[in-house]
Amino acid sequence: MKKLYGLFCILIAASMLLTACGAKSSEEKVLRVWIQWGDNPQQIQALFDKYTAESGVKVEVTAPIDDDKILPALTGSNPPDVLVLSGGDLAKSFYKEGLVDELSSAIETGNIDMADMFEAPLSQCRQGDLIVCLPWGTDAYALFWNKDLFEAAGLDPEKPPATMEELAEYAEKLTVVGADGTLEQVGFIPDHSWSHTDLYVRNFGGFWYSDDGSALTVNSQAMIDAMTWQQQFYTKYGVENLQAFTSGFGEYSSPDAAFYAGKVAMMVEGEWQVGPNFIPALKPELNYGVAAFPPPAAHPERAGTIVNQGTAVVIPSGAADKEASAKLLAWMMSPAVVAEEFCFNANLPTSKKAAEDPCFAALGEKFQVFVDLMASPNAYAVLTTPLSFELNDALYSAEEAILYQGADPKETLDAVQAEFEPKFKEAMGQ
Amino acid sequence: MQNPTERKLFGFNLPPKVVWTKRTKADLRTGLLFLSPWLIGFFAFTLYPMLVSLYYSFTIYHSKRAPEWVWFQNYTELFADDKFYLSLQNTLYMVVIAVPLGLFASFLCALLLNLKVRGQAFYRVVYFLPSIVPTVAGTILFLWLLNPQVGLVNSLLARIGIEGPNWMADPNWSKPALILLGMWGMGGTIIIYLSGLQDVPQSLIEAAELDGANWFQRLWHITIPMVSPITLFNLITGMIGMFQYFAQAYVVGGGGNLGRPLGSTLFYSVYLYQNAFLFLKMGYASAMAWILFIIILILTLLLLKVSDRFTYYAG
Repeated sequence: MKKLYGLFCILIAASMLLTACGAKSSEEKVLRVWIQWGDNPQQIQALFDKYTAESGVKVEVTAPIDDDKILPALTGSNPPDVLVLSGGDLAKSFYKEGLVDELSSAIETGNIDMADMFEAPLSQCRQGDLIVCLPWGTDAYALFWNKDLFEAAGLDPEKPPATMEELAEYAEKLTVVGADGTLEQVGFIPDHSWSHTDLYVRNFGGFWYSDDGSALTVNSQAMIDAMTWQQQFYTKYGVENLQAFTSGFGEYSSPDAAFYAGKVAMMVEGEWQVGPNFIPALKPELNYGVAAFPPPAAHPERAGTIVNQGTAVVIPSGAADKEASAKLLAWMMSPAVVAEEFCFNANLPTSKKAAEDPCFAALGEKFQVFVDLMASPNAYAVLTTPLSFELNDALYSAEEAILYQGADPKETLDAVQAEFEPKFKEAMGQ
Repeated sequence: MQNPTERKLFGFNLPPKVVWTKRTKADLRTGLLFLSPWLIGFFAFTLYPMLVSLYYSFTIYHSKRAPEWVWFQNYTELFADDKFYLSLQNTLYMVVIAVPLGLFASFLCALLLNLKVRGQAFYRVVYFLPSIVPTVAGTILFLWLLNPQVGLVNSLLARIGIEGPNWMADPNWSKPALILLGMWGMGGTIIIYLSGLQDVPQSLIEAAELDGANWFQRLWHITIPMVSPITLFNLITGMIGMFQYFAQAYVVGGGGNLGRPLGSTLFYSVYLYQNAFLFLKMGYASAMAWILFIIILILTLLLLKVSDRFTYYAG
C-alpha cells in the first residue's frame, strides 16, 4: 500500500517538474498580440511578421480571440502584450478595473504622432484628459440606394434624399405592397441590418451621453426624435408585416441579402460593403449609389454626419515588457501599417496620412465617399463609458419596445434614464 | 415501529453507523486513493470555486484590486432588479412547460420504440440521431426551419391553411420555438426510458393479460409505476438542465443581442453570463449563481420528498 502512495507522489512530482522545465526552455522573446476580430488570421500574422523583419522581435498573433478568454487573461499573470478590441466600450470597462494602462507613457515611448489621428475615432478612447486606447481602424455608416428601384418608382436615380423627411417620403414611394397585403419591397427599414440609432440621434443633434461624456442624456429631445423618426416606418407598414418580411431576408453576406436582392431600396450600411468582399464580389451587377446620411430639413448644417465605431488597441496593465508593447503599438499606428491593414479589409484608416495612401483610392469612388467623410466637421464616434455594455443592452431593449411594440419613445427613454442615472454616477465616480 | 439501527436526517435515510476497525481504515485509504483524481478535481475545480463565489457574492468584485465587502447589497439589488425577475420568469416557463412536455413525449416515443416491429433498430437510431448534433448547429438549423418566410415549418403549416407565426421574432413564440428545438433533441431521455421499459418484468404484464387487463390498464398499472424511478431521474436532471438553459439562447441572441426578441429569451443563465462577462459585475453574478443553486436545491429536495408517493422501486 505504502509503495502505491510513494509511486503516486513521485508521479505527481515528476509531472510538475516536467511542466516547469517545459516553461523555462523557451527563452526567446515573443510578443503576443490578441485581436478580437479577424477572419483572415494568416494575413494578420503576415503583417506582423514584417515587424519581426524590421525589429527582430517575434510576434505571435491570435485572431480572432474568443471573448471569454480575454478577461481571465487580463486578470491573470500572463496577458497578451498588445490587445486589439472590437470597440472602445470594453477598453473603458477594462481601464476602470485597472486591467489596461492609460497610454500617455506608451505614446511618449513610441513617439506616436497623435496629430495624425482623426479626432472622431480617437474620441472613443478619451476618458477626460486620459487616453486609454488607440483606434486602429474604424467603420462609418452612410446611405446606400438602389438606382434601378429609384427609377422604377419614378425617382431620379442620381439624387438620393437630401433630408430625413425626404427619405421617409422616398421610402413610401419605394414600398410595394402585394395584392394580399403582404410587403414585396420596402423603401427603408431604420434598423436594418442592426440598430443605427447612433447615426440618427447625431443627425437630430445629440447622443445618449453629453458630448464630454460626463452626463447621461438618454431621454434628451434628440433621442426622442431619433426613436420617433424610426418608429414611423414600423407604424406605417405594420410591425408584424415588416417582421414577416424581414425574416425572409437572405444571409447578410450572400447574393440574397435584402438590399442586393432588391427587397430593400435604401439602407444604412458601412464602408466594407463597397470593398472587394461584399457588393463587388456578391452582386457585381448591382446598380447603386452611396452618400452621407441626410440631416433633418431644419438642420442643413448637420450634413455629412457620420458616427465612427471601430477597433481599440490597449496595453494590458499586466504586460511583461511595457516598452516592447509601446514600440509594437507605435509600429501598428504608423500610417504605412494602418494603410496596409485597412486597405486589405476595406475598412477606414484612423491615420490622416494613411487615408491619403493610393490604395484607398484604388478601392473606388464609393469608398472615397467614406474616406472623405472621415474629415467631415460632423464626424463623431460612438461615445463610450465604463457603463456602455450595460446601457447599450438597455437601449437595445428600449428600441425593441418602441419599434416592435409601439411603446411611447419618451416614456420608454425616461424609464431607462431613471434606471441608469444612479448607475452612471457610480460608474463615473461622480 | 422504527428500526433502531435506521438513522434519518430530514426524513432521508442515512447509512448505518461505521465501526472503525483497522481493515475499514485501510479500505477507506485505498478507496480515497482510487477516488483521488475525482476528489482533487472536485475540491480544486468545483468546491473551491463555489465557496469563492459565495464570498464574492457579498462583495463588489474588482479584477485587480481587492473585492469590496458590501454584505447583502448584491442580493438586495437583485431583488429590486426587473430583469432578474424577467429572467427567472422565462426560466420557470421552460421548467414548467418544457420539462413535463419533454418527459411525456419521450415516454411516448420510448413506448413506440419498444414495440416489436421490423426495422426497430433503424427507428431507434433515427430518433437518437438529433441528440448527437452539436447544440449550436442544431439551433441554427432550427432557426432556418422556423424562418417565417422560407422555413419548412411555416410552409407545411401554410399547406393545411394555417398562417405560421413569426417564431423567433415574436416574443410570444420564441420560447415555444426553443421548446420544439429541445424536443427534437430528446434522444437521451428516450434511451433511458427505453432501457427502463425493457426492464419491466414480462411476467407481470403476462399475468395482467391473463386477468383480462387491456393495453391501457397494463400501461397505467404496471408499466408507468415500474418506470417511475426513471421518470423521477429524468424529471430532476431535466429540471436542473432547464434551470441552466444557456447555449441555445446564446446562439439565438447572436452574442450581441442576448434575450431578443423583447427579453423573451433572457433566461437566468443568460442574464448571469451577461452580468459576469459583459457588464463585468462578478459579485452580482455570483449572487445570482447562489440564488439559482438554492432554488435548484430546494426544488430537488422537494421532488425527492414528494416522489415517495409516486415512485415505485421494485425489490
